[in-house]
Amino acid sequence: MDVSLTRNFCIIAHVDHGKTTLSDRLLEFTNTVSQRVLTEQHLDSMDLEKERGITIKMHPVSMTYPAKDGKVYKLNLMDTPGHVDFSYEVSRSLAACEGALLLIDAAQGVEAQTVANAHLAFGQKLKVIPVINKIDLPSANLELCTKQLEDILTIPGEEAILASGKSGIGIEDILEAVIARVPPPRDWQYPQTRILVFDSFYDSYRGVIIHARVFSGAIKAGDGMLLMGNGIKSEVKEVGIFTPKMEPCPMLEAGDVGYLVSNIKSTEDVKIGDTITLSQKPAKDMLEGYKEVHPMVYCGLYPLETQDYEKLKYAIARLRLNDSAFVYQQESSVALGFGFRCGFLGLLHMEVMQERIRREYDVEIISTYPSVVYKVKVHGGTEFDVDNPVNLPDPSSIEMISEPTIKASIHIPNEFLGDMLSLVMEKRGTCDHTDTLDATRVMLTCTLPLNEILVDFNDRLKSITRGYGSMDYELGEYRPSDLVKMDIMVNGDPVDAFSSIVHRTKAEGQGRQLCEKLADIIPPQMFKIAVQAAIGGKIIARDNVREMRKDVTAKCYGGDISRKRKLLDKQKEGKKKMKLIGKVSIPPDAFIKVLKND
Amino acid sequence: MSDFAIAQDKAMGTVSTGLYIHVPFCARSCDYCAFYQSAPDADAIRRYFEALRQEAGLIAWPAQIETVFWGGGTPGLLSPKDLLKLGALVREFSGGRPREWSVEMTPLSVTEARIEALKEAGVTRISLGVQSFQPRLLDALGRQHTPEQAFKAAERLHAAGFDNVNYDLMFALPGQDDEDWMRDLDQAIALAPAHISTYCLTFEEDTKLWLKLSQGKIRRDVEAEARLYTATWERLAAAGYGQYEISNFARPGRACLHNLNTWRMQDWIGLGPSAASQQAGWRGTNIADLDKWCAEVAAGRRAGEDRQELSPGLLAEDALIFGLRMNEGVDLAPLRARAPGADWAAVDAMAGELREGGLADVTGSWIRLTPRGRLLADSVGERLLGLLSS
Repeated sequence: MDVSLTRNFCIIAHVDHGKTTLSDRLLEFTNTVSQRVLTEQHLDSMDLEKERGITIKMHPVSMTYPAKDGKVYKLNLMDTPGHVDFSYEVSRSLAACEGALLLIDAAQGVEAQTVANAHLAFGQKLKVIPVINKIDLPSANLELCTKQLEDILTIPGEEAILASGKSGIGIEDILEAVIARVPPPRDWQYPQTRILVFDSFYDSYRGVIIHARVFSGAIKAGDGMLLMGNGIKSEVKEVGIFTPKMEPCPMLEAGDVGYLVSNIKSTEDVKIGDTITLSQKPAKDMLEGYKEVHPMVYCGLYPLETQDYEKLKYAIARLRLNDSAFVYQQESSVALGFGFRCGFLGLLHMEVMQERIRREYDVEIISTYPSVVYKVKVHGGTEFDVDNPVNLPDPSSIEMISEPTIKASIHIPNEFLGDMLSLVMEKRGTCDHTDTLDATRVMLTCTLPLNEILVDFNDRLKSITRGYGSMDYELGEYRPSDLVKMDIMVNGDPVDAFSSIVHRTKAEGQGRQLCEKLADIIPPQMFKIAVQAAIGGKIIARDNVREMRKDVTAKCYGGDISRKRKLLDKQKEGKKKMKLIGKVSIPPDAFIKVLKND
Repeated sequence: MSDFAIAQDKAMGTVSTGLYIHVPFCARSCDYCAFYQSAPDADAIRRYFEALRQEAGLIAWPAQIETVFWGGGTPGLLSPKDLLKLGALVREFSGGRPREWSVEMTPLSVTEARIEALKEAGVTRISLGVQSFQPRLLDALGRQHTPEQAFKAAERLHAAGFDNVNYDLMFALPGQDDEDWMRDLDQAIALAPAHISTYCLTFEEDTKLWLKLSQGKIRRDVEAEARLYTATWERLAAAGYGQYEISNFARPGRACLHNLNTWRMQDWIGLGPSAASQQAGWRGTNIADLDKWCAEVAAGRRAGEDRQELSPGLLAEDALIFGLRMNEGVDLAPLRARAPGADWAAVDAMAGELREGGLADVTGSWIRLTPRGRLLADSVGERLLGLLSS
C-alpha cells in the first residue's frame, strides 16, 4: 500500500471566479481529457449550472501527473458546489480531500463565498493553497488580493500562486504545489476498510452510483458492502474511477477516489457522509462528520394548468431520484388545487429545482410563499417542527415558537453601508461586526432570521449596492421569536395558499399588502366581499373587492327567453371553472397573479 | 310596485295568450340590430303572407288572444294594403278584439296612409323607433331617419288620435356623453308619449357594432352604463313615468300588456320567421330564414328550433328569472303552487342572500330587486338558473 503518490484536492471559490475553467485546464495539462474532447466547462454537466455559473453536483476526476521530481502521481480533483445551501455536501466533499485550491478573482478580490468556503476548508483541516486567478485581466489588482488574503483569511501572501485559467498561466505551478503542499491521503492505516460516501446519483439502468473516497482498506466487485449509517447491506457490482467518464477498474484502494455500483436502487438509501465498510470484516467506527441533512425551506409547488399535475408529479419524482436532500409530499389547496409540499436545503436549491422542473420537464408551476422550518413548543413540553403554516397549532396551545437564524457575511462598497444597515434592521437582523476589506469595501457579519431573507433580501441587496454587493450565509441557531400565523380570508373563508407565519410586528404591513393585491385582482363581485388578514380570528387588515356595477341585458322579448337562458347557462358554466372560496367564485389565475407579482 | 301593473294583472292560474307576428322586412340593417330581417320585394312579401296563413292553420288557437304585437324587421314598411291584409289575418284568429295591439314603426314609415290603415285594422298602440334625437348619434347607429322626421311622425300619430305611443330610445352609445343622453331623454319627455323604452346599447354578436367592439374601435364603459341607467330611472320617475321593467316606463295604465304577458311566463304564439312561441307546455322558435320558414310551414312544421317541453319547475324558474326584471317583482306563492316538487329551499336561501347583499327586498311571498339588484339582473338570473328546473 503506497499512498504517497496520491493527492486528493478540490477547488473552492466564489461564483464566477473561474473555478470551472481552471479545472478544465488541469485536465487538459495532464492529458486527462484531450483538448479536442474538452468542451467548455467540462465538469458541469447540467445546462442550468452552466447558465447560472454554479455547480450543483460534484463530479470528481482522476488525473495522472508526472511531476518534476520524476515520480508519477495520481491526482483526484473534486469539484464542489459553490453555494452554502449545499454546505453539508461541500463539507463531505472537502472531507474526501486533504487539500484545497482557494481561487480568488484577481479583479474582484475576496468575496463573501470565498470567505465562507475558506472557513469550511479550514474547518476540515485541509491544506489551503491560494490561487489568484485571472491575473491577465487589465483590472487585476494583485497587491490588494494578497493583502486581503493576509488580512481576512490569515493566509501568508507569499503562498499565493498567480494563474489564469483562461490563458493557461500557472497551471504547472498549481500541480506542483498540490504535490508539494497537499499531504498524501490520511488515515490509511485503519485496520478495516472505510469508505466515505460524498455523493451519489441515480442511473436508470444501473441504480445508484456512489461517489466514494476510500480511506483505508480496499474494495472490489463481488465484495459484500455495509452502509454503517443505516445498516443496509449490498453486493458491489463494479468499482471504477472518473476520467471524467466512468471507467471500471479492478479495485479501489486507500486514498483512491472513484465510484461504486451495487444492488441499491434508491438514492434515499445512500446518505451523503455515510461510511461504507465490508460486511465480512466491518469497521468498528464510522468516519467522522456524518449527519442527516434536513430541508430548511419549504414551499408548495402547483401546476399552473390543472391538467399538468401528472407531469409535475413525474418531474418531482425524477428529480428526487438524484437529490435526496429534496423532499416532497402531495398536498392540495383550495385555491390552487393539487400539488406538492416540497422541502429544500435553502433558497438557491429551491430556485434551481423550480427552474429545472420548468425547463427540463416543461411544466409551468406556481410556488406558494416559502416557509422555513419553525420549532414549536406547546404547553406540556412537546416540541415539533412546523414547515407549513397550515400545521401551526392553535395559538393558545403554543408556549414558544423558535425560528432559524443565519450568520450572513455581506460584502459591500462603503458608500452603501447606511442603506444596507437599514435593510438588515428592517429584516429584523443585527449587525454583529464590520470589517474593512480594503479602502472601498466593508464586510458585515450579521445575524438574520432565515425567513426574512427568503423572498427579496438578495434582490434588495443587489439593488442597494447597484449589483456590487454579495452575500453568503451559514445557518445559525434557532431563536425564540414572536411569531404568529396570519390567515387571509375572502368573505370570511380562509384561502389556504396565502396563510403564512410572520413576525408579529410585520403582520399588519404584510397583511395589508396582500389584502390590497387580492382585492384588486379578484374581479368585481355581485355582493360586498371583504378580503381580510387575520391573526387568530382578530382582523388586522381589510380591503374590499370591487362591487360589480352593472350586468343586465336591456332587452327581453318572447324570443329572448330561450336565447337568454343559453347565455346565462354559458355564464354559469364559466363560473364552474373558477375556484370557490366559500361563496365567492374566483378565477384560478387570480391567486396565481398574487403569488407571481411578488 | 306599479299600481297599474297589478291592476292589469290577471288572476294567477288563468293563462292569457299573446300573439307576436314577426315581419322580417327592413330597408336597411341597423348597426346594432340582431333581429332577423331581409330586404323586401313583392314576391317575398307574397310568399310571406301565404306562409303566415299556413302557419296560422297549424295552431290550436285559444278562444281569445289578449294582446298582439307586430315586430320586426319593420312592420311599418308594409304597404297600407298589406297592413290591412295582416290586420284581417289577426282578426280572423284572435277571437274578438285584443286588449292591446302594438306595431313597431320607424319614423320614416309613419305616413298618413299607413296610419289610416292601422287604425282601420284595429291597432291600438304604436312603438316608434326614435333611438335618438341627435343626427350624429342616429348616424353612428346606422339609422336612416333624421330628428325632424321623428318629430313629424310623432305629430302625425298624435293628430290621428293614437294616444298609446311608445318611443324607443338608446343610451350608452359610442360618442354619446351623459349630457347628450339627458338631452334626448328630456326631448322625449317633452313630446309626452304614453310610454318610453330606454335601451342601454347591447353589443349583439354578428352586428356591425360588435365587430367594432371586438376590433377595439369602440369601448364599453360599464361604469358609465350603470350611471346612465340610474340617472334615467330617476329622470323618468320625476317626469311621471313609472318604471315597470329594466328598460320600460309608462304613464299609469300604459304598460305594454304584451310584454308583461311574456315576462309573467304566460303563453304566446309567434308567427313568422324567427318568431318564438310558448304555448300548451311547449316552447320553440321558428327558423330565422324566410325561405326555410316557408318550406317548414308548407310541410306542416313550426317552432322547431330550441324546442323544449316546459316542466312546472322550468316555468316557475323562468317566471322568477324574467319576472325579477320587473319592478313589481315576483310573487313566489303561486309559483310554489305551480311547481310544488321543486327545490324552493334553494330559492329561499338565494332570496335571503340577495336581500342580505342589498340586491332584493323580500316582503311576504313577494321578492323584488332593489335598483342595485336590477342593475345586476343577469347575475341574479344566473344564480337562479337551474335551481328549480333541474
